[in-house]
Amino acid sequence: MNRFKIGWLLAIQALVGCSTPLPPQELLQARSAYNAASKSAAVQLAPAQLDTAKQSLEKAEASFKEDGDDQSTKDLAYIAGVRAQVAVAEAGREQAARNKAKIDHDFRNSQLDALDSSKSQLEQEKAARASAEKARLAAEASLKELANVKEESRGVVITLSGSVLFATGKSMLLPIAQNKLAEVAKALSDQGYKSLLVEGHTDSQGSVDKNMALSQERAQSVRSYLVSQGIPSDKIRAEGIGSSRPVADNSTAEGRANNRRVEIVVEPNRK
Amino acid sequence: MRKLCLATIVLATACGGAAVPQETLTAAKAAVAGAEVAGAASEPKAALHLKLAKEQLAKAEKLIADGDNEEAAREVDRAQADADLAFSLAKESGAKKEAADTQEQLDRLRHRSK
Repeated sequence: MNRFKIGWLLAIQALVGCSTPLPPQELLQARSAYNAASKSAAVQLAPAQLDTAKQSLEKAEASFKEDGDDQSTKDLAYIAGVRAQVAVAEAGREQAARNKAKIDHDFRNSQLDALDSSKSQLEQEKAARASAEKARLAAEASLKELANVKEESRGVVITLSGSVLFATGKSMLLPIAQNKLAEVAKALSDQGYKSLLVEGHTDSQGSVDKNMALSQERAQSVRSYLVSQGIPSDKIRAEGIGSSRPVADNSTAEGRANNRRVEIVVEPNRK
Repeated sequence: MRKLCLATIVLATACGGAAVPQETLTAAKAAVAGAEVAGAASEPKAALHLKLAKEQLAKAEKLIADGDNEEAAREVDRAQADADLAFSLAKESGAKKEAADTQEQLDRLRHRSK
């Protein structure tokens, strides 16, 4: 009861006593809005707007002290509350702009990265092509050292002299021929090709049938040896040509020697 | 002409009130226009403050017509604050949208280059 009475007295005193009127709703709201803004990112991101809000609130507080809760205090307090919200909004805008700038930066970097990686991919492919070409040229050069190599429309033709490969009238490879063919097989395996054709050729001495049979056996024995050296058997064929395709004059000893030969035709990959 | 000006001033002061808050009224109207251009009408919170600013401006003009310039000046000040807030909110929303759009582009780019 006593406490209740005191409460009323205080309330009446507050209303009547001109010393301390209650702050209007607008001022209370402005205070809390500024309080929130002053603890927000606006301190860093919108200091000017926050200062405007502060001055605005001080004006409202001064008006409240001077004139109490009349309309001008309420208006000033309303404005102060809005100014505090402006500071918060400007801080949000600044933060978004900074975020965007960072994302833009990342975007450009990602674009550059993508460009770099496609560039380096291109360079890698280029380097791979270059080294493949180099290997091919080296293989070709080593073939040229081993045998006579020429390019014809049917492919690269490697010509091995018959006297190096075989004894007269025989189709068994000489030991020195095996070494040579092993190197040919190695050089061939470094080169891309579709298939290989081994052709046996003879000079025109002796019967056609005999020459045909001999050339076939010789081609077969070269083929077998190359397969034993790792050339895939489904990629290599052997054929006897006999004496029907001489490359030199059969009337001289030198010409006949040149006609006794084995040709390996490297049939290229068609693209 | 000068006489007329004098007469107006005398009349205005004679009413016992303050002068017409012409300068701040013009500024507040410009602020409202600026907020509209910034897209305040399409962002709900900004639209609310844009509406308040316009209402306060209308009220201020009515008060001026009634000769109550002092109260009109305070309405104009409120309108200015609300127009400023509408502008800031619209710009904030626009900036956030731009950032989100850019982020989306970045995500797409990163996704594609994976």
